[in-house]
Amino acid sequence: MLRVVSFKKAILAGAAGALVWEAAARLLALAGLPVFDLVRELGTVLFRHGSPAEWWPAGAAAHLAVGVAWAVFYAYFVWARWRWPPALQGLAFAALPALLAIFVMVPQLRLMHLDQEIARLGWSSALTGLEPAVLGTILLGHALFGLTVGAIYTHPVGYPVDRMPQLGGARRRQRSSSRRRQPDGAFMFATGIECSYPTIEHGRWRRDEMETTRHYELWQQDFELARRIGVSHLRYGPPLHLIHAGPGQYRWELIDEAMAELEQHGPEPIVDLCHFGVPHWLGDFQNTELAQPLTEYAAAFARRYPWVRFYTPVNEMFVSARMSALDGVWNEQLRDEGAFIAATFNLAAASVAMTDALLAVRPDAVFVNSESSEFYQPCCPDPDVQALAELENERRFLPLDLLYAHELSERMLGCVKEHGRFDEYRRLLKRQVPRRTILGVDYYEWNEKLIDQDGRKLALGELFGWYVIANQYWERYRRPMMHTETNRIDASDAPRWLWRQWHNVQLLRRAGVPLVGFTWYSLTDQVDWAIALAQPNGAIDPVGLFDLNRDPRAVGLAYMHLIEMHRDQPEYRECAALKELVD
Amino acid sequence: MAGFLSAHGYDPGPTQRPFLAGAISGIVATIPAIAILQAFGSLRVEAKILGISEFATLAAGWIIMALSGAVYARLFGRAANEKRGGWLFGMAFGFALWAGGGVLILPLVGGGNAPAGEAAIGLFLSLVAWGATLGALHPFIHRPLHERLETAARWLGPDVGAVKPRNDRRTPARS
Repeated sequence: MLRVVSFKKAILAGAAGALVWEAAARLLALAGLPVFDLVRELGTVLFRHGSPAEWWPAGAAAHLAVGVAWAVFYAYFVWARWRWPPALQGLAFAALPALLAIFVMVPQLRLMHLDQEIARLGWSSALTGLEPAVLGTILLGHALFGLTVGAIYTHPVGYPVDRMPQLGGARRRQRSSSRRRQPDGAFMFATGIECSYPTIEHGRWRRDEMETTRHYELWQQDFELARRIGVSHLRYGPPLHLIHAGPGQYRWELIDEAMAELEQHGPEPIVDLCHFGVPHWLGDFQNTELAQPLTEYAAAFARRYPWVRFYTPVNEMFVSARMSALDGVWNEQLRDEGAFIAATFNLAAASVAMTDALLAVRPDAVFVNSESSEFYQPCCPDPDVQALAELENERRFLPLDLLYAHELSERMLGCVKEHGRFDEYRRLLKRQVPRRTILGVDYYEWNEKLIDQDGRKLALGELFGWYVIANQYWERYRRPMMHTETNRIDASDAPRWLWRQWHNVQLLRRAGVPLVGFTWYSLTDQVDWAIALAQPNGAIDPVGLFDLNRDPRAVGLAYMHLIEMHRDQPEYRECAALKELVD
Repeated sequence: MAGFLSAHGYDPGPTQRPFLAGAISGIVATIPAIAILQAFGSLRVEAKILGISEFATLAAGWIIMALSGAVYARLFGRAANEKRGGWLFGMAFGFALWAGGGVLILPLVGGGNAPAGEAAIGLFLSLVAWGATLGALHPFIHRPLHERLETAARWLGPDVGAVKPRNDRRTPARS
């Protein structure tokens, strides 16, 4: 696929563009100006000697059809390629059909109007060119068409926060491959269904990756593909923002069938209860009352699906808080240290309360606390740059410190006191962390960053690698660990990246770290992931085991190979660290 | 260009057979195109311009359309497998083929003679219809031709994680 396109919007934009052209041409004709009548030209191709009642509808229909085709073309190939206002993008695009019209279509239409079957062409006829009136109308018409299409075709993905998206995909009768019986406590080979649902545009527009990647429609096929790859576990985040409709209101019917399929056929889900966003009625991560409704949701979820054993109460708290309150990209879209502290504490409080609520319903629940691993390298001996790197390298631990009752660094403690959260911190510090807890460490090529002389953070690629960075988290928290996310945006390099990540996992295990699982994230390609969902562009990032047509990528085949090669090896068939947790 | 397309995930990948699927789709899509050519009398005119029989024109056309189908499938890569947008990609390709073949090459080969009137309409419509049919059919024809996951996976063992020496163009060994 090239990109995710909204056909409805493209068709509307194309039809509107053609109508605007036609209206302008009629107005110019009424004003007595010489105009090239494209509708007549098209209509009389079929009704050469027909009356206007015959050729006008035919010509108008042809013009509309051509307009729609060009608008869909624009949606696939041009939209959001330039960072210009949408109408200007459309205007620039219109140069292409205008040139084709001038040099190919209009001369050919003239040939089509001839009462002979063969015409003799010469260089002179090709170079004669068009009359000024024809040329002017074509240029003006295309400009109006482009401006209209550009202005109308925006936001091809996502939806307004107060609107319920169309959810298709009732369970079909199909042969599901049977669950591969893995011994309890076998190493977890996992993938995930990308399920981010933050809001952008100051809370007005919802990004919903499950909708954009068509998982709501193709969930059954997606689960089957995960089984075919051979994964034992699936990171799966039901859409909190759609299910939790209000206080005490849950639309379980949205996921009942999908959950039943997972229960019967696998893979075993690691259920992600809050992934980068909250329902519209809960506001955003600045909401100090967030913990209560999310806790009720978690408890209700566990009662509804009592067979679910693995949970991620809040996914990547650091990323959620940072993107929403420090980098100004999602949800509350703030850029403020205090707002970051508030979001982090609200999320940590929610995660802790959700964990307790889940344990009350399912005492043997296992928690996979997924967090983005980060590392900041100062570029030079500049004290300011070094101080910034130190701050970032301490700040990265804040959410996990709160969750795992770990003492904060002096600098972060000062920050917490400054923003009035010290009492809350002390309460969290006294918490008994559940025994069945796994620290999930996510790693991508930009997790290691260089702080340059201007204080900018630049992706470093794989500088020290997952082994070194994950080891820093291990040294701090000493919890069983899992590699819970990785992928590579360069699809051609993804198989190499997969194997290298896997070798990091193997090495860390050999070093004695209790590593219980590995994840390629995600099952399918993602949309606008490279720009952190910041704009609703519909650009596809080829990071999946399968593309959005559900055709396998090379990395999907490599992962299949990797799993097949290792899952029956004694040290993976029985993973002592995981067995100890689930027993 | 190939590297760019590959990095952006358009590369068909080890399970797919784009040339075969594209050629078959191209051949099948030629059926409605021929019907349109016949209906507008374009086939006869094309044969006349080229100075060959209608049968020879038809045979050559079928071969060209099969090859063009294969080129389309390889050029569009994974995008050609998309059921929703395939018709448009195919139609755009058919239009380009018409602009290149029908508008430019045919008069050059035919000594400056080009189809006109209804014959020109037929030629245009046939290639646009051929493209739309090709694009719409291709995803459905391609899928059953895919290699099985299990066999294709064998090509992607741990050795793909290694850095290859420069100029080593060997494919990864089956392991």
